[in-house]
Parts: sequence; C-alpha cells; structure tokens
Amino acid sequence: MRRFWPWVRLGAIAVTACVFLFPFFWMVSNALRRDREVFAVPPRLLPTEFQWGNFVQAWEYLPFGQFFLNSFIVAGSITAIVLVVSSLGGYAFARLHFAGRGPLFLVYLGTLMVPQAVIVIPLFLMMSWIGWLDTYQGLIVPMAFSSFGTFLMRQFFLSVPQELEDAAMIDGAAHWRILLTIFLPLALPALGLLALFTFTGQWNAFLWPLVAVNGPEHATLPLGLTLFQGQQGTQWNYMMAGATISMAPGLALTILLHRTIFKGIAVGSGFGGR
Amino acid sequence: MASRRRRGDATTAALFLAPGLLGLTLFLLLPLAASLALSFTNWQVMGETSFIGLANYRRLFTADPVFWGVLATTLAYTAEYLVLNIVLALAMAVWISSLPWGRTLFRLVFFLPTFTPLVGVALVWLLMLSPGGVIEWGFAGLGLTVPNIITDPRLALQAIVLVSLWSHFGYNMLLFGAALEAIPATYLDAAAIDGAGAWARFWKIKLPLISPSLFFGTVLTAITSLQTFDQVYALTRGGPGSSTTTLGYAIYNQGFVVYRLGYASSIAWVLFAVIMALTALQLHLQRRWVHYDA
Amino acid sequence: MRSVLRLACAALLTIACAATARAEVKLTWFMWSGSEPEVVAWKHVAELVHEKYPDITVEFQTTSFPDYWTKLPVLAASGKLPDIISLQSLRAPGFAQLMEPLDARIAADKFDIGAFEPSIIKGLQRGGKQYALPYDFGPLVLYYNTELFAKAGLPEPRPGWTEEAFMKAARALTKDGTYGFAVSEPDAFIAFARSKGASYLSDKGDLDLTNAGLKKAFADYVALVTKEKVAPLFPASGTQSSSVANGRFTAGNVAMYVDGPWQLLNIKKKANFRVGVAPVPVRSAGSITITAGSGFGISATSRNKDAAWKAVQVMTGPEAEKYLAEAGRAFSARKAFQENWFATAAQDVTGAREAINAALATAEPFVTTPNWSVVSALFLQYAPLAYAGSETPEKVLETIQTLATQ
Repeated sequence: MRRFWPWVRLGAIAVTACVFLFPFFWMVSNALRRDREVFAVPPRLLPTEFQWGNFVQAWEYLPFGQFFLNSFIVAGSITAIVLVVSSLGGYAFARLHFAGRGPLFLVYLGTLMVPQAVIVIPLFLMMSWIGWLDTYQGLIVPMAFSSFGTFLMRQFFLSVPQELEDAAMIDGAAHWRILLTIFLPLALPALGLLALFTFTGQWNAFLWPLVAVNGPEHATLPLGLTLFQGQQGTQWNYMMAGATISMAPGLALTILLHRTIFKGIAVGSGFGGR
Repeated sequence: MASRRRRGDATTAALFLAPGLLGLTLFLLLPLAASLALSFTNWQVMGETSFIGLANYRRLFTADPVFWGVLATTLAYTAEYLVLNIVLALAMAVWISSLPWGRTLFRLVFFLPTFTPLVGVALVWLLMLSPGGVIEWGFAGLGLTVPNIITDPRLALQAIVLVSLWSHFGYNMLLFGAALEAIPATYLDAAAIDGAGAWARFWKIKLPLISPSLFFGTVLTAITSLQTFDQVYALTRGGPGSSTTTLGYAIYNQGFVVYRLGYASSIAWVLFAVIMALTALQLHLQRRWVHYDA
Repeated sequence: MRSVLRLACAALLTIACAATARAEVKLTWFMWSGSEPEVVAWKHVAELVHEKYPDITVEFQTTSFPDYWTKLPVLAASGKLPDIISLQSLRAPGFAQLMEPLDARIAADKFDIGAFEPSIIKGLQRGGKQYALPYDFGPLVLYYNTELFAKAGLPEPRPGWTEEAFMKAARALTKDGTYGFAVSEPDAFIAFARSKGASYLSDKGDLDLTNAGLKKAFADYVALVTKEKVAPLFPASGTQSSSVANGRFTAGNVAMYVDGPWQLLNIKKKANFRVGVAPVPVRSAGSITITAGSGFGISATSRNKDAAWKAVQVMTGPEAEKYLAEAGRAFSARKAFQENWFATAAQDVTGAREAINAALATAEPFVTTPNWSVVSALFLQYAPLAYAGSETPEKVLETIQTLATQ
C-alpha cells in the first residue's frame, strides 16, 4: 500500500489538473463554434463544425491587430525604461556612498505600498492637462517608474564581490563604465527576470489603459476585449476568440520560460505577487 | 583618495538616481499628494470646483447609502480570498512536492493562468457562470438546483473569489513550493527518526521553516486583493446592485463613470488607509509566528 | 519685360489662389455604433460631406453607445472634443453644455427646420436653444419573431393588441429554453410604465421614481421575470440590458423585445428569421410609447465651426437621410424620407408601417433629467436585484432614486 500511495496522489492531481484546465478548453472550444451553439442545451463539448473563421472575423470586427501592436509597444517601452532606470538606481543604492542614502532608500520602499487606484485620478487629470490622454506616451511614461526594479537590482548588485569593483577603480574606470562592463553583464539573469515580470505585468494591465484611452486606436488587448463586450454583448464566440488572442503570449512565455519564472519566484524577491 | 571618491560618488549617485527620482516624484508622490488635496474638493469634469473641506468624508461616512456596504464587501472579499489563497497554495505546494513524478509539469499547469490578462480570464468565467451556461448545467446534471452564482447578489462575490483564486493562487503555490524544497532533507530525516509523523513534521518543522515565505505571500496578496478591480469590471461591474462593488471599483465608478473626481479621491484615501493599517498589523503580528533564523 | 513681369504676377496669383482653395479643413466627428454595418453607414455619411464640399473631410471616430457618454466628458476635460458631436435627445439636458447653440446659424442661413419632425427638434433643445439637427427619431416598438409565433400557432400582434393577448403569447412562447419576452431598462420599462399611466418625473420635471404608480408598474414589470417567468434573467455584467435582449432576440431564443426603429439595421443583419414589428400592448392607460431620436451638433470648442455647420447640414440633409432610411439605420427625422424607410429597409419586416404609425399616434417625447446617464447606469446596476428576487422592486427604485439625487 505504501508503495502505491505516491502514485494515487499523482493520479488524483492529474484529475485535478484536468478540471483546472477546463476554462482554457472551454474558451477555445467556444471560440471555434457558431454563435447559436454557445448556449446549446445540453452544452456540447466540441463545436459541430470548427469555425476557424471566427478568429478572422473577430480580428476584423475589432482591430485586434492594432490592440496587439499597442500592447506590444506599451509593455515593451515600459520594460525598456524600467531596465535602464532600475540598473542606474540599483547601482547607486548598492555601490555608491552619499549622504541620505538610507532614508532615501526607505522612501523608495515606501512607494511600493501606494496602490494604483489612489493615484489614478490625479494622473488622469495630469495627462488630460498636458494632452497625453489617448496617446502612447500617456500610456507608457506614468507607468514606467516603480521602485520595485531599483530595489531588485540593488539586492543583486550588493552580492557582486567588492574586489571586482576595486580592480576596475584602480584602472581609473568611471562608475558608468564599471556598471556597463562589469555589473550589467553579471546581472543579465536578474535583468531578464525583471524584464519578463515587467512585460507580462504591463501586458495584462487594465485600469490605467481603461482610464487613459478613449477608443480603439490606442487600446491595449485587455481593454480591447472589454470594448468588444460593450459593443457585442452576446457574440460570445468572437469574444472567446479575442480572449484566446489576448492570452496566447502570456501562455507561450509561461510555457517556454517556466524554469526561469519559477527560479525568479523562488528567490522570493517579490516579483508581482497577487 | 577615499574622500575624493566619496565626493565623486555623490555626483554620480545624483546622476544615476535622477531619472528614477524624477519619475517617482512626478508620477507617484505628486499624484499621491494631489489625490489627498482633491479629496477636499468637489472636483467634477464638467462644472465649477471648490474646496469643501471634509464634506466628502462626512458624506462618505454618514450619508452615502452604499459606502459601508462597499467597505464591508472589500474586507470580506480580502479576508476570504486571503485565507483560501494561502491554504490552497500551501496545500497544493505540499501535495506537488510529495509527487514521485511530474512536479514541474503540475506546477506549470496550476501557474498557467497567472501571466494572462485577468480581464480575459474573467470573460471566460462569465460565459461559464452565466444563466444557461455550462456550470449551471453541470450542477443541474448532478441533481442540484443551486441559485445562479452571478445573478444572485448573495453569491456574486463568490464568483469574484473563484476567478481570482483560479487565476492567481499559482503564484503563492510556487513561492511556498520553493521554500519547501529548500528545507534541508536532514532536518526532516532527523525528525522522522525521532518518531515524528508526517502531520507533526508539517506543523513542527516545515511550517516554521517556510514562515518567512508565508508572511511575504500573505502581505503581498492582502495588498493586491484590497485593490481588486479587473475581475469586478469584467464579471459584474460591481453588481447585482452593489453586491460586488469593491473599494477599487467604487473609485473607478465615482471617478470615471459619474465623474465625481473629488468624491472618488476621498474613497481612494480610505482604501490607502485600510492598506496601511492592515500592513502595519501584519508587520506587528509577524513577530509571533515568523521565524527568520533557521 | 513688362509682359514677363505681368505673366509672373499672374502665375503667382494663380498659385496663391490654388493654395487658399486647397486649404482643406479636417473635421472630427464622434459617434456611437454597435456593429460593422452601422460603421459602414456612418462612414458613407461622412463621405457625403466630402463630396459636397471637397475641401472638407470628416474623420469618423466611434465607440459603443454606453462608452460614448462616459468618454465625452473626458474629451471635454482634455480639450479634445471633436468638431461634430452626436447627441441623443435623452442626453440633451446633460450634454448640451458642451455644444454650440445653432439658432443664429439657422436664422442666418434661413435653414428650413420645418422639414423635420417637430417632436425631435424639440428633443434636441435645451433652455429654448437648438443644439443639434436630428437625423433620426422614432417610437419604441415591439420587435417579434414571426417564425416562433407561427410555430406556436399564435396570431401575430397587431396595433391595438392588449396586455392579455401579450401575456397569453408570452406564456405560450416560453418553452424549451426559449422565452416569450426580454425585459430591458430603463427605456423599455418607461414605455411599459407610461402605458400603465405611471410617471417617472414629478410635476416640476425632477426625477421621481418612488411614487406609488411607478412602484406598482415596476413591480408588474419585474413580475414578468420573477412570477410569470416569461422573460430570462441576465447577469449584470455592464452590458446594456437592451443589447443583451437584442442579442437573445436575434439568436432566436427570445420571441419579443422592445427597442427603437434605429435597431432595424442591426436586427436584420443578425436575425435569420422574418422579423415583425408591433406597437407596445394596450395597457390600462393605452398603448403609450416614448419617442427619442438623435442628431449632430457643433462642439463649443471647435475651431472650425463654420465648416462643421456645413457638414452637419449635409449629414442631416436630404441625401444622407434618404440613405440612412433605406439602409434601415434611421427612421428619418425628415418627414419626407420616412416613406423610404418603410419602402426599403422595412419592406421585408411584417407590420412595420402600421406599427410605427399607430405608435406615433399616441407616443410622447421621452423627457429626461440632466443626469439621465447616471439614472440609466443605476437602472442597469440595480434592476437585476429585483429580477433575481433578492430585493423588492420598490426597494430597488428607492435605491436608484437616492443614489441618483444624492
């Protein structure tokens, strides 16, 4: 009995996993059926005829190509800014000595607690005054500054041996060169993790695009999906096609890079955290 | 040499920190202060604005017919979701770490929804939970007549909990799983030799050893669940009635549907106060149960 | 030498003239839409302006109907209002403040406003000033699925049909996952209430949802879902109940629902059965429906008001009206083109002419309050509580009244 027990546990979890994955299956299955089969009684697991054209129609009906591009531009730009700003800031906190470093770092940590919902109204007003509503820069710039990346890079840079830095110092290298030639190459795994978590986080972000965007022109994918909901309350097959499109990149990244992601979460430095 | 380097450091530090500091000041600290200031005005998008002192807060606490309900909904949601998330994540982490095969595979399966847009996830669940949907049919097939979870105001909040759990418990599961795997086998072996059963080993050894991860997961999950918005927007828009209106949704609704920006800001500060209070409480309580030295 | 100079001057003048003539005006126009055929129709209307005035281009921007009204204030706040604003009569009290009064221009151009239906001209006024020219108008009517009626062996509804006949049909049509009727609010409910003689406004024109008559009417309306069970329950997912009802109707699993003639284009596109139209049933106060309509006006902040005025005249002009009527997008606000709607768009719809004419005979304009957007949103959020049976209809109306007027 003892020997079988682990395998029973394995079988049980396999069943649980299948149940858990059902929403994904249901999404794709509904994305591929005719509208009138969505609420068929009794429900059919698979469409009678696979309507691959639904994806094309969803794509045409609302500009999902544009949404996709917008999401990519916004999430990509924010990630790029975060990487640069965090490397510079992290280096300063980890390796430079200056008056007020401790208190300033506490301020940085404190900002992690500020919920987005609290600042979204003033941000909206700021953006409306400078005419940045419904623009890429309005979606990107206000969201590109979080102290989290700086905090993470500081932790990493603290672990770099002092000798490496000293040797470069004797050669007379300036800090920016030390950062560029010694620290950043060492930090590639950390930077990669930061990029991955920032990118997916921004890809999925909803509140700010909802507030800062007026129409389909600059809408990101999650926002585009709800535009669909508003216009086509009942075209569930198209909506599920849209949901599938919006989830595909996140799912692909998770499957391809799961080892990296798991390692990132394991170091416990607070990536995301829901 | 050393002092010269220090002075050079200060200049470099100023340069290196400038972009981040500027960004944080402009897009975080300034809006934070502005939101407090706004909460003392009757700011609307169309119409005159004036300072009205504490009137927004007075209305919120004494006159608004739904505010206390919204606050209660938010706290009830957070409490329920937090407990379920931590228990489920821990249980699954323990279960998976005990498997003879496929640990990474199953971790991946339960983590899959985490990196997908919550709005998309919520729409899929909306389809399944709608009247006439597959879940209602499933219950009927089991001979159970249950009220529809999404149209019944007493149950609708459970739909939000369910969707949130499905999409995000995987994160904490991984966090706890990693902590479990980091426990040296010698500790557990020693305990086993001393005659401790699996149950005792879990409570006496594993749990204390992973308590820092548990604490970390609890704090972050609490902060984010107090702000819950995406699921509510996509699933119920705060309804039926105000049964699923969380503070986060109320801020959006007052701010960007009704355009009472001043009033919405006062709700935002209530949310901020709740988050700060809860985090302080957790930091205070951690001394009793979190063990960092092991 | 002199002739060369003269020639050069002439050439310069020509170029200068050409340059000023080509000073093109680009106007932005913001409009709601609910489907691709609608977008096509509106883009065609924008094109008509360009044909008439080649130096004016109208850029069409769109979003869904509910979002339109939440985005408009944002655009106003950020100084990005379009040159041409679309205005629905129900929202005129709340949104006219963003727009330019047209009276001076109408008088100066001796524009013939008498060609339009007087009730909708009035509906787009605020404080006695005209803020938009109408393109459509119409009474809320009852759409029905002729095939489901035939299958159930029921006579199709005709003008003058009664509440009893409606209930009998609704009960007979409710079977096998199909429902006889779909409720939606607030508009369709207001028509229901008016037919029962109940009012939603006080004598002074303020919102009054808590009077005994309206409470009784709402209780009766809710009973269609809770007691009679002839109408399905929808989740409160933020979608307009009328668009959910529309979707269930066109999918063929709801046999009747109430909406305006502006939906005909969408309904015909999606439904694969013959559609019928009838007036709302005769209830205790008669068959009283409400009329609403929409139009186009100029934003108060537009920098091209003269060009926008030209464009608005074309967009509500005879050619545009004829096109919109024939496409089924608009029951024309110009009396002259209502026939085109009957003859073309509604030719394969049973009973359209009789129904619209009968409805118009007893219809009244849909008068609203300035915060009607909020009232409407509150109805969508709180009415499901009554349908689900978790709060009394009376309590729901009280909540909406309190939240709307606080």
